[in-house]
Amino acid sequence: MPEQVRRQMPNELMPKHHDNEDAPRTPDVQPPDTKELLERMRRIDPREARRYRQRSGE
Amino acid sequence: MDLLFGLENEYGVLIDGCSLIDLPCAVKELIESYPHKACSNWDYSHESPRLDMRGFVAKRLEVNPKEEKLDRETLSRSPDAFEPCDRVLQNGARLYHDHAHPEYSTPECRRLKDLVAHDKAGERIILMCAHNLSKRLGTTVKVFKNNTDFHGSSYGTHENYLMLRLVPFDAVVDAFIPFLCTRIIYTGAGKVGSEADAGKGVRYQLSQRAEHFSSLIGTDTQSRRPIFNTRDEPHADRSKYRRLHIITGDANMSEYATALKVGTTAIIVKLLERGWRAPDWLRIAHPIKTLHELSMDESMRWLVELADGRKISAVELHRLYLSAAQTLLHDEDEDVQWVLREWCEVLDWLEREPMALSDRLDWVAKRRLMEMFIEAEGTDWSDERLRAIDLAYHNVDLNDGLYYALEANGSMRRLVTDEDIEKAIYNPPNNTRALIRGWLIERFCSSVMKVSWGMAKVCVNGVERTIDLRNMVGEDAQDVLSKLVDEDIPIDELIELCNSANANSSENS
Repeated sequence: MPEQVRRQMPNELMPKHHDNEDAPRTPDVQPPDTKELLERMRRIDPREARRYRQRSGE
Repeated sequence: MDLLFGLENEYGVLIDGCSLIDLPCAVKELIESYPHKACSNWDYSHESPRLDMRGFVAKRLEVNPKEEKLDRETLSRSPDAFEPCDRVLQNGARLYHDHAHPEYSTPECRRLKDLVAHDKAGERIILMCAHNLSKRLGTTVKVFKNNTDFHGSSYGTHENYLMLRLVPFDAVVDAFIPFLCTRIIYTGAGKVGSEADAGKGVRYQLSQRAEHFSSLIGTDTQSRRPIFNTRDEPHADRSKYRRLHIITGDANMSEYATALKVGTTAIIVKLLERGWRAPDWLRIAHPIKTLHELSMDESMRWLVELADGRKISAVELHRLYLSAAQTLLHDEDEDVQWVLREWCEVLDWLEREPMALSDRLDWVAKRRLMEMFIEAEGTDWSDERLRAIDLAYHNVDLNDGLYYALEANGSMRRLVTDEDIEKAIYNPPNNTRALIRGWLIERFCSSVMKVSWGMAKVCVNGVERTIDLRNMVGEDAQDVLSKLVDEDIPIDELIELCNSANANSSENS
């Protein structure tokens, strides 16, 4: 196997991320329609998770 | 990706008035509600779940005592509750009843987009069955693609990767244990609270499944679940291949998270096949504890203790795998390039600002929903409504599921279109042996006697013929597959083509 890919343990275990031009910019995430989502969440039956019982899978 | 992979999802089912004892029969009925053409005879003679990659046969698979008791009660009411109930579909997938869960195994895929489309097709197919069952029973049937009932029962999302057997078993284990213990930082589906004693007080976890693992290596899947599963069923030529059966994964709703989970794991397989080996220092001191603790680490620092006592962040640990892949796989196909690019970006964001990944990763998207709800309602993490919201995130109904509410308003990145998913419901991928399976079901359903992943038995002119698909997994199979795509060939010719491709492949091995 190529020796160069057998990586050595880095001296600095947690190198800091350096800001530079290649660093990703904040993703262009559309803010969700909060009002509609909240309405959906409020309509959920709070007892549903309590009633939800399953068998263990294999 | 020049590699075969697939996903198996066990779904949770909620039926008004149905107890845990009656659930297996209801799930059987759900599978039987599949409305389209299918073969109902799965050939179990090729299955041997106790066969261990370490070269022995396990005496038995561990069974959860609570489940054993429930099984007895179910059988006393319905003696045929656990009789096989299978449907092999025209898209090459397998839909079946697995211990009170409808399970959908995607057809074998070679491209990440195909896998995502077929995983989503599975949701739609099971939902279709649930609607049919609901009409028949006159009650509500809800289906959830998750891994927990929040009361201690867990069910799986398993991944399968066909890999060369020539990679030594120890090298596979050494590379995968650190990877599997830590990849939950981007593959986790998120969970409110904990079902384990050790998780008392935990508000939110990265993974649904992590705390249900309690051993390191083994063949079990229901009890004493191992981080590295050693079941040795390649469903292909045993002398050449092993099937990596990964059982630690969560059920992802996000298309992006599914592709990243399978893509990064497939890359580790490819690295091993290229000769890469995990460096000696890359040993986690306490793998099981690490998996549990990372899932529950709300500081998002995700520190991992190595066997030599030093500590490294899970993000940095994944950069080591990524770096090896960037060196060895830089000239691979566009799927690999996508994974390398996205993996790098996700790791950067996990280190800088994890919540920026709410458009891609399930645990982040779900957590963002929870935080929004907590703030708007002036409540806190102990509110029992949060578990109901967690569950609703995984409801596969496009009108009711919270994931689908996020998707509908453009908050989640998509990798496939609704048309791709619709197509995958009825059509297999065109570049794997699933095409042959699907073709047989679509054209000759009534002649198909039995099917398994590596074999099909058909009746042609009153004569039973066997189509051996075990060697139809590599480049040798592409000629036959191309012919099926391009021409309308008779079944006799297909059988001859398959058997001849198989013979060639065997001779070349």
